[in-house]
Amino acid sequence: MLRLALVLVGCLSGLAWAKPLAPAEVTEVVKIIDDRQRNSGDYRSLAYLEQKEKDKTDTAREAIVYRRSADEKLMILFTKPKGEAGKGYLRLDKNLWSYDPTTGKWERRTERERIAGTDSRRADFDESRLAEEYTSTFMGEAKLGAFDTWIIESKVKPGVDVAFPVLKLWVDQATGNVLKRQEFALSGRLMRTLYYPSWKKLYSESKGADVWYPGEIRIYDEVEKANSTIVVLKSVDLRPLEANIFTKAWLESKSR
Amino acid sequence: MVERAGILLRIAFRNLFRSRINLLIGAVILGGTLLVVVGGALLGSVISSMSRSIIGSVAGHIQVYSAASKEEFAIWPMGGNDPDLSPMVDWEKNQRLLEAVPNVKAVIPMGINAALITSGNTVDLTLAELRSVVREEKAHGSTPELEAQRASLKEHVRQIVRVLQSDMGRVEEINTSDALDPEARAAIGRASSDEFWAGFDRDPYGALEFLENRLAPLLSDADLVPLRYVGTDLDAFQKHFDRMEIVDGQPVPPGHRGFMMSKFVYEDRLKLRTARRLDKIKDALDLKGSIARDETLQRYVRENRTQTREILLQLDPLKTERAIALLQRTLGSSEKDLDKLLNAFFDTDDANFYQRYEVFYRDLAPLLQLYRLKVGDVLTITAFTRSGYVQSLNLKVWGTFQFRGLEKSALSGNINLMDIVSFRELYGYLSADRKAEIEAIKKEGGVQEIDRSRAEEELFGQPNRRVVAEATPGIIDEKERFKGAGAALRREELVRRVYDPTEIGRGVVLDAAVILQDPRHLQKTLADIRALSDREHLGLRVVSWREAAGLLGQFILLATVVLLLAVGIIFIVAMVIINNSVMMATLQRTPEVGTMRAIGAPRAFILWMVLVETVTLGLIFGGLGAALGAGAIALLHWWGIPAGNETLYFFFSGPRLFPTLSPWNIVVALVVVVVVTVLSTLYPAFLATRVPPVRAMQADE
Repeated sequence: MLRLALVLVGCLSGLAWAKPLAPAEVTEVVKIIDDRQRNSGDYRSLAYLEQKEKDKTDTAREAIVYRRSADEKLMILFTKPKGEAGKGYLRLDKNLWSYDPTTGKWERRTERERIAGTDSRRADFDESRLAEEYTSTFMGEAKLGAFDTWIIESKVKPGVDVAFPVLKLWVDQATGNVLKRQEFALSGRLMRTLYYPSWKKLYSESKGADVWYPGEIRIYDEVEKANSTIVVLKSVDLRPLEANIFTKAWLESKSR
Repeated sequence: MVERAGILLRIAFRNLFRSRINLLIGAVILGGTLLVVVGGALLGSVISSMSRSIIGSVAGHIQVYSAASKEEFAIWPMGGNDPDLSPMVDWEKNQRLLEAVPNVKAVIPMGINAALITSGNTVDLTLAELRSVVREEKAHGSTPELEAQRASLKEHVRQIVRVLQSDMGRVEEINTSDALDPEARAAIGRASSDEFWAGFDRDPYGALEFLENRLAPLLSDADLVPLRYVGTDLDAFQKHFDRMEIVDGQPVPPGHRGFMMSKFVYEDRLKLRTARRLDKIKDALDLKGSIARDETLQRYVRENRTQTREILLQLDPLKTERAIALLQRTLGSSEKDLDKLLNAFFDTDDANFYQRYEVFYRDLAPLLQLYRLKVGDVLTITAFTRSGYVQSLNLKVWGTFQFRGLEKSALSGNINLMDIVSFRELYGYLSADRKAEIEAIKKEGGVQEIDRSRAEEELFGQPNRRVVAEATPGIIDEKERFKGAGAALRREELVRRVYDPTEIGRGVVLDAAVILQDPRHLQKTLADIRALSDREHLGLRVVSWREAAGLLGQFILLATVVLLLAVGIIFIVAMVIINNSVMMATLQRTPEVGTMRAIGAPRAFILWMVLVETVTLGLIFGGLGAALGAGAIALLHWWGIPAGNETLYFFFSGPRLFPTLSPWNIVVALVVVVVVTVLSTLYPAFLATRVPPVRAMQADE
């Protein structure tokens, strides 16, 4: 707890804390990452997604992301461009559903689903659940540009369904934020590299503390090297959402 | 001169059967000619059949596509992926000009693409149906039909729950109860309780959400079906590709959107797997196959016995009772467990198969949904568009079709048809309007592009850079950002919409099939179209059906090369044998040749004598070989060579190949034989001319 307090103090004061982490401290760092992003109430954010692909014109989308921490629900509703408006994803009880108003059909998707065909995954828009889903170990320290970071490796716990079973995180020693994340397949093949160049915090009444969210995520596809996605969370709104918002009927109603 | 030729021929005929060596040479010539005639005729017939399959199913005689395309057009591409073709944007003008080229009968616009259609598992599909009934009742009020439908679907879901419950019971018998997921057990427990179903109608959406999210994930029989489709002017396609015939349903009415499913795909991918396996066993037995001898058929029987869930999940309680009664009667059994009865029923062998097959289709099939999709249903197709967005479309399946003679061919049978207006939507050509809209969104997004290789330096390289910032609360009003796209209305409108025939010409086309009035002038028409494209700056690449066939075109080339190579090797061997044999024959005849030389025969006479002898031998035995070859082809033509598998169906353009003999097969064979015999005799003949008369005298002494 003393170390944790030090981490928090370090984070608040912006002072660097440059010591290797013991296993218990790794767990604490990961918990802090999760806790910061969790809101005990509702959450809605306006997201911008830009996708670059080899030999294709860039695509751009705008979406509203809705979350409810209490029962781990998530919904992504696309609003722009016109052709995408009304499409969405709904996560209920570990089921990920995709809806397309042009067909009126719901389809079950897996955690590996590329959200709207981009390089992003459901987890990029959701709360961080590292401690719940992964077992983390300290791998060492490294410089990331001008930043001193801890490298933490996280392996998925048995029976948990995630998009990528192995992660490598570069955590800023000064602020405790993830700056870089690499995701691997079970075979050890690197699948995606993500950068988090900006983190924002907003006071939440329901939580009684700040809720943190990445202002921008740059995702690089490591299989199709020319492909990449940028996700920008333009604003976050923590006011309570309608009670029945996380239902298929609600998402369907948006396209009528 | 004539007299001399007469003498040479008389000598040749006199010597024809005098030497056993001549018989050996004759046998080699006969075998070689037989092979050239039969091989040439078979190859010619296969190429001719394949060309009919390729031209008649989808390629036409000529294909045109944009010269700006990065890859070459191929209907059956080498790597399996459809080529990246640039669209022909101003198609109306192209079509008008192409149709004016002499010998062009019709030009049919096309585009080939592929998509995966996904179907949820059986519970997902049943619950989706139930949800749409509930939605309909909420929106427009209940009717007796809707009420009955809802009741029937609810019963079906309860039956599925019972199957899951029985599965769980079996697992518990094997494992300890601790091994089971308590959440799964709780979900099945709740879904099987009477209280749950009694309360269903009070809150149908709540109950559906529970079943969809807690129960459905316990079943994993979802399917992904790959679909390859050609978007085209369906009326023109059916008119000019006269091998196409409708099997079920009807053609897509003019101006309507729609999908025509290939009968092969319909049977192979969308049919109840048990029924499909029964069909395959029957096909094999019809061709004199045997379950006892064929391991594949034995596997089908095994799978039918063990994979009964697909049937169990389809049956509601009433149908389950009927199925049990039926199977008890058929099998003379008192067993009450449907799973065990099905296992016994599908335990087929050569003796009982036809009887069980008949019972299945007559009595059991009416209780089942034999196909995942029925003609008249709406099919959802999802494709990655050219513009990078994912586009889905609902299309009515108006019917199934096949290409006559190619019913069982997997190659031609894998192609489905769609109206070109829907194809264009799924292709997603980026119009100027859409481009401008995306640019506006990008501008609003305001993201700075960073070179990937320098990302870390650019993002984190600056010392003292702050990564954390305080955010101000944003008010996100979805009503403002998203006013309801009205997509549901658009969806219904699209299915009903009738498009103007002129719309086919307006819009992008990826390739087009050109049908000729007289296919014999293919090369000239190819040249004419290329000249037209150059003259009018159409920017077209023009290829014959053989090039357009891709993989199959390569196959034709490969088969021709293999045959030529085989013929070449055989005749090189023949040349060596003939050469050696004639050498031996010449040596045996040294006294005769010496005597002839002694009584005044000039060297040229000796040379001609040997040559005429072997050519005569070649023509007689070659002729015999050709006659035998012609007889063999006539026999094969009368009998027909059966296409043993689905690929051969395409190559044979039907269930059997009926090879034909062209006069050219015989002419070519005889010319080759004469050339080979003359070449292989030249050296021994030359040696014969060198025999001095004194050698003959010495030999006599």
